[in-house]
Amino acid sequence: MEILASSIVAGLLFGMVLALVALGLTIIFGVMDIINFAHGEFLMYGMYTALLASQVLGVDPLLTLPLAALVGFLLGIACYKGFITYILRGPMIAQLLGTFGLMLLLRNIALLVFGSEDRAVHHGVLVDKSFEMGMGIIVPATKLAAAGLSVVAFVAVWLLMNRTRMGKALTATALNPQGARYMGISTEKMNALAWGIGGASVTVAGALIVNFWPVNPYVGLLFTMIAFTIVALGGFGSVPGAFFAALVVGLITEIPGFWDFLTYTLELDWMYDVPMTSFKYMWIYVAYFIIMVVRPRGLFGWKH
Amino acid sequence: MEALKNAFDFSDQPRLDLTIAGALALFLLIFPLLPVSAFALATMIQFFIFSLYGMGWNTIGGYGGQVDLGKAQYVGIGAYTTAVLLIRWDIPFWFSMPIGVLLAVSWSFIIGYPLFRLSGHYFAIATIATSLVLKDLFEVWDFVGAARGLEISPIAYQPPDYLRLIFKEDIYYYYVLFAFFLVGILYLNWFRKSRLGFQLRAIKDNEDVARSLGINVHWAKIKTYAIATGYVSVVGSFHACYIKAIEPEDTMSLDISILIALMAMLGGAGSLWGPIIGAGILIPLKSYLKEWLGGMAGLAGMDLILYAVIIMLISAKEPRGVWGIVERWRRRKRS
Amino acid sequence: MALLAVENLVKDFGGLRANDDISFTLEKGELLGLIGPNGAGKTTLFNCIAGKHPVTAGRIVFDDEDITALKAPEVARRGLARTFQVYAAAGDLTVRENVMVGCFMRTASRRKARERADAILEDLNLTAAAPQYVSELPVAAQKQVTMATALGTRPKLLLLDEVAAGLNPGEIEEIMASIRHIHHDLGVTVILIEHVMELVMRTSDRVIVIDSGRKIAEGLPDEVARDPQVIKAYLGDRYVQEAGGGEAHP
Repeated sequence: MEILASSIVAGLLFGMVLALVALGLTIIFGVMDIINFAHGEFLMYGMYTALLASQVLGVDPLLTLPLAALVGFLLGIACYKGFITYILRGPMIAQLLGTFGLMLLLRNIALLVFGSEDRAVHHGVLVDKSFEMGMGIIVPATKLAAAGLSVVAFVAVWLLMNRTRMGKALTATALNPQGARYMGISTEKMNALAWGIGGASVTVAGALIVNFWPVNPYVGLLFTMIAFTIVALGGFGSVPGAFFAALVVGLITEIPGFWDFLTYTLELDWMYDVPMTSFKYMWIYVAYFIIMVVRPRGLFGWKH
Repeated sequence: MEALKNAFDFSDQPRLDLTIAGALALFLLIFPLLPVSAFALATMIQFFIFSLYGMGWNTIGGYGGQVDLGKAQYVGIGAYTTAVLLIRWDIPFWFSMPIGVLLAVSWSFIIGYPLFRLSGHYFAIATIATSLVLKDLFEVWDFVGAARGLEISPIAYQPPDYLRLIFKEDIYYYYVLFAFFLVGILYLNWFRKSRLGFQLRAIKDNEDVARSLGINVHWAKIKTYAIATGYVSVVGSFHACYIKAIEPEDTMSLDISILIALMAMLGGAGSLWGPIIGAGILIPLKSYLKEWLGGMAGLAGMDLILYAVIIMLISAKEPRGVWGIVERWRRRKRS
Repeated sequence: MALLAVENLVKDFGGLRANDDISFTLEKGELLGLIGPNGAGKTTLFNCIAGKHPVTAGRIVFDDEDITALKAPEVARRGLARTFQVYAAAGDLTVRENVMVGCFMRTASRRKARERADAILEDLNLTAAAPQYVSELPVAAQKQVTMATALGTRPKLLLLDEVAAGLNPGEIEEIMASIRHIHHDLGVTVILIEHVMELVMRTSDRVIVIDSGRKIAEGLPDEVARDPQVIKAYLGDRYVQEAGGGEAHP
């Protein structure tokens, strides 16, 4: 029972962080129908920003969030202005391979600058502390804080999109780009803004994740695929959809925990032999495939 | 018979192209006999390998316009089938290769059926997902060596072993692959003008119109996907005998899938010579960049940075690849 | 026996009724005109007959067979071909290759498909354009190519969706001549959609008028042109009195 409960809690908490990871991707997709393969690389830069800033400035990694957001915002706009705008009107294959090229570029620049070894946060207010939540559930403080701050950031972006003039213009562009253009909203500006906000939200997520997840230049692809799955599940372009979908995907990453629970409960010998932890992320890909085939618009999709 | 004749029918190609192609074929035929380094020969073998991958991808991705980014899983199926059959039961290459194709094509039908209900980005990402699932499975499957992979020990055989395709010198591999390369071109030449090839090009242009012309769009895509898979699986089998050590990471990773698509795209997707041009540019570039830059201390990844810049430049400036430039230039000259 | 019979066909898109209880029959060898203002539901009707859209209710019988539930490729294989309104032809293919795509429906042999395509092109006076890419041709020729491609499938019935749209008067004459040739000399039954009324009136044996998804008139071109309901649909109420006896001209 404890395994089950702690798996659920861990899954949901991680899901909250993943919601912030996927948010940028879904905003960008909603505004301009482009899939960004470099999304996970943005996250990786967020992780490095938090890690290095905290080491250099000697502050807790959690205090570096504004810096990470700034880096992500600038990186997003730079990528859009410098590259994405040129492939936007091209055929889809060029877009896919183009953002893949961007991913390779960002990844290998990181390799050149930071080296290939794993780095982790060792010092911080919350590192190695944990909370006892009752029922034997123990949650590392870093994960709890990351989840909480992710939700705060997610809601902040959500409010930004729905309560401010700028955000409303962005949403209008997503729903009807031509109409928005007639209203005097510059598509070019809105696209750049979407990349800025998208970049900022995912680097912040990276800065939160680095507190409990070591970083290396290759960490991005996994998160890119996770974000794709969430966005597909939530419906491409849907922000609230992304949040709930992220919780589902968070639970999917805890399938090994559920498996253990079933194994101990049912006491079937063969179940012990399945190396379920090795399949931890495979279920995400399986989920993507099944979701897309069964429900191409996602569970909460509002835009085709 | 007519099919065989059609495979050799290059009559729609400009004479200049055929002359260049013939000259290059002659050059490739005598290349290993020239005083070239082992490195150059190995690079050339990689060129053949990726040309063939690219030709396979070109059927579904180029002529069909379906952006398939999961071809690496079939490299894996072909390579692993050949390696496993050889190591466990001493079944030679020429028997294991067709078995590998059979397995790969069967798998392609199983996942192709649901896959082709998707289109565009959704399809592309789903192909990545299927490939990664297979890779993850192979990484824990003890029967195929899990993440350590498999190794074909050349000591167990007496090279040159033509049946098992175990050689000491690369020159043997070169000529076997050169034969595959020629067959691959002939097959592609037949395919692009076959009924299926025509149907596929109509589908790429407009699916509704294709349907109105009696074409079963879903089935035509699945069939072509299987053809592309066949190409990739054959070369995968060869790869196992050539490299002799295979593991999931270097046969089935996303990078391989993308590289395959890139060959065709750089050269010109949906054209006969595109994948060969693409591989002819990218493979030597990649291999020599790695040799020159990768070795230098502190410049790890520099080759891939340049590589990434090339990809970005093509996609932004000339999405139809090198062949697109040639075509545009020709059309301008004609009018 | 009628070649095509549409019985009480209804098509809804969500809450919108695009085709409402449409029935008509078509004899073999006829050239039927289907007219109506923009948005009347003509193309939707084509899409339903050709199997692109599933119908909401009703029945479609083609050549003594119920084809209501068939999908587009199956309908095409039974000998019902169509062209599309905005679509030209595959720009990446040459004219001959485009027509060959159609011919490949009846044969798997490249040689036969090519021979047949060349025959059709010659018949429609397009031989000179055969090796050209469709994207290099003028719009009128592109429309001819789409008709040639449809002919490649050896249809019994050909549905032509606004082939004259966007053409100048000279080009319209040419394309009408082609249509008459297909109908008279090749013996293909044709249904012609146009919202330019005059064109249909001059060519068709019989005309059906659709407005707001309903069939409002049917008959010989002259009769239909005098029908007050038709004039109302095209020109609005105030013309009904004055134009009652004269020729309706939109």
